Amino acid sequence: PGMALGMGDGMLSQVEIPTKVVCLTEVVSPNELKDDEEFDEIFEDMKDECGKYGSIVNLVIPRPKPTGEEVPGVGKVFVEYSDTQGASKAKAAIHGRKFGGKPVVAVFYPEEKLLERDYGG
Amino acid sequence: SEVPGTKKRKSRWEDDELKFPVLGQIPDFLKELAGGIEFDPEIQGLNIQLLEINRRLQTGQFYDERSDGGFRSPSPEPIYDNLGIRINTREYRAREKLTRERQEIIAELIKKNPAFKPPPDYKPPKLYK
Repeated sequence: PGMALGMGDGMLSQVEIPTKVVCLTEVVSPNELKDDEEFDEIFEDMKDECGKYGSIVNLVIPRPKPTGEEVPGVGKVFVEYSDTQGASKAKAAIHGRKFGGKPVVAVFYPEEKLLERDYGG
Repeated sequence: SEVPGTKKRKSRWEDDELKFPVLGQIPDFLKELAGGIEFDPEIQGLNIQLLEINRRLQTGQFYDERSDGGFRSPSPEPIYDNLGIRINTREYRAREKLTRERQEIIAELIKKNPAFKPPPDYKPPKLYK
């Protein structure tokens, strides 16, 4: 069910529906995020760079808890734009660019999930 | 705690320019899409000459009145075709000359610009001498 047109799994996973939210994966490590100063710098860098492609309405960078408790979405950055055009431009421009020396993977993320603070997806 | 006026620390983002550091790294098909080869001054010059010749052939301006400064060399002996129509008039010769020039320019453009599409009436020159 849901496998329209009889395409293989590999094909379907390539098809992406644009949303207003871009999720950057594999960008930050839990260690950097624990440090307040580093976190602020990362947040600022993200805001500056992502703001070039559209107007940001929400920027979420999940942080690990001091207790060491597992937090979903740590290592990812969620950027919500006011429209899908901004998100599409950002995704195209940022995907493959290096942040802190590592190539960034940019994907669309469902708006509802971000709203529900579901960062696991 | 950033003091205004202090030098901004470097962003963790890799510089934009590093994405395409050298123009040579852009694949050829992209350069062609961007019209790269059309900017070749030699090809541009040929294109302009071709447009000018086309214009003159279409409007019947086979020769440039200004170029001979009013001086004309003596006309050759007339030649007539089998219907008795003179074929070596000034107009006829000028049009033949323009047509030849046009063929040469088109042949040159085909050689220099693989994306060039010759006009439908163009016939490639015979390969034998």
